[in-house]
Amino acid sequence: MSQRNERSRRPDPGRVIHWLIHQAARRAPDTLSSRLEEEWFADLESRSAAFSRLCFALGCCWATLVIVNDFPRRVPVASPVAPANGFVTLVDRNFGYFSLRSATLFLIAGLHAALFFGLITTLSHTRSPAAPPNLQNSEVTPPPRESVAFSLDESELNHWRITVPKTVVDPPVQPAIASDVTGDVSDKPAEVTSQPPSRETPTHVVRQVAGGPGAGFPETADFYPSPSIHLGEEGISTVRVCVDMRGRLTSEPTTVKGSGSARLDQAALKLARAGSGHYRASTENGQPVNSCYAFGVRFQLRK
Amino acid sequence: MGKKETRVRMSLQTLRVLEAFLENPTEQLAGAEVHQRCGIASGTLYPILLRLESAGWFVSQWESVDPSSVGRPRRRLYRLTSTGLRHAGEVFASFNRGVLA
Repeated sequence: MSQRNERSRRPDPGRVIHWLIHQAARRAPDTLSSRLEEEWFADLESRSAAFSRLCFALGCCWATLVIVNDFPRRVPVASPVAPANGFVTLVDRNFGYFSLRSATLFLIAGLHAALFFGLITTLSHTRSPAAPPNLQNSEVTPPPRESVAFSLDESELNHWRITVPKTVVDPPVQPAIASDVTGDVSDKPAEVTSQPPSRETPTHVVRQVAGGPGAGFPETADFYPSPSIHLGEEGISTVRVCVDMRGRLTSEPTTVKGSGSARLDQAALKLARAGSGHYRASTENGQPVNSCYAFGVRFQLRK
Repeated sequence: MGKKETRVRMSLQTLRVLEAFLENPTEQLAGAEVHQRCGIASGTLYPILLRLESAGWFVSQWESVDPSSVGRPRRRLYRLTSTGLRHAGEVFASFNRGVLA
């Protein structure tokens, strides 16, 4: 019983389609209403599929809207009595300069413009959020530079006479990049020219002068590790540094080629750090530039 | 009654409807048959048929059958008039010349 009741409650698609066509025809102009209803019901019979019939009925509803818009001006209405639903009255209303079609077009264009404006403003709002307070610029004071203090006992100094060699730069290390030049502590700076131009690039020679330890650079003897002095360790540690135009380190120095003693390599790194601000900047065509280069630190005991 | 306005706004769908009728200008076609030939949906088709009829390009009449005997409602049949045939020919001729009337 309950299934029967549910079936009876469920809307019959055929009845819905007939109702749609009936309503569509009823809203058509009076002179065409009955004719269209009969014509549409007859043409509906040529369609068998339920979906196709539903599409046809919905199309009839749309057709009524178009016909109502078209035909009050063309088909003479038999009776001047306005329909009760007022549908035709709305269509017949004079919009002044605009017809119903123009007004609809303007309405659609306005809706699109509003949608577009909303979309643009929303996107621009989401793409440029205000910077949170914790990301605001603020002045940051640099951490105190690590002071490298190393001293030798006087007794040790008495034991050993240490030659205080000048920082010697060993044969240049292969540069990783064009501006990566090998340091040279000799008075005459090395002159480096750029690589020969390729076929595609025009000929453009840049005179590069490598930088290196400059005036005021710490003495190597101050960084000679005392255990190494005791053990008689000697060697050359090659250190790579990146220096800005003012001779200051821009990154942590690294050991390129070890001396064979980890102590001496560490001491060379300390020396390189301590020398920050006392490097000679590399130059290109006479102008100081940021650059990276390597130089050797020789630890040698005087015998 | 003044002179009947014979100008019709031409659209692609209107041209397709006219083309279906021009295949056999003396043939009478119901809306369902025009739909089968052109594939135009009912919401577009019937306003075009009524527009062409009110412009005098088409005439329509009820199918001369007894609904009770055939078991279905009688159909409305459309046919090209001589005016419609002439205008449709002009439209397609100008269309082929690249100038839409």
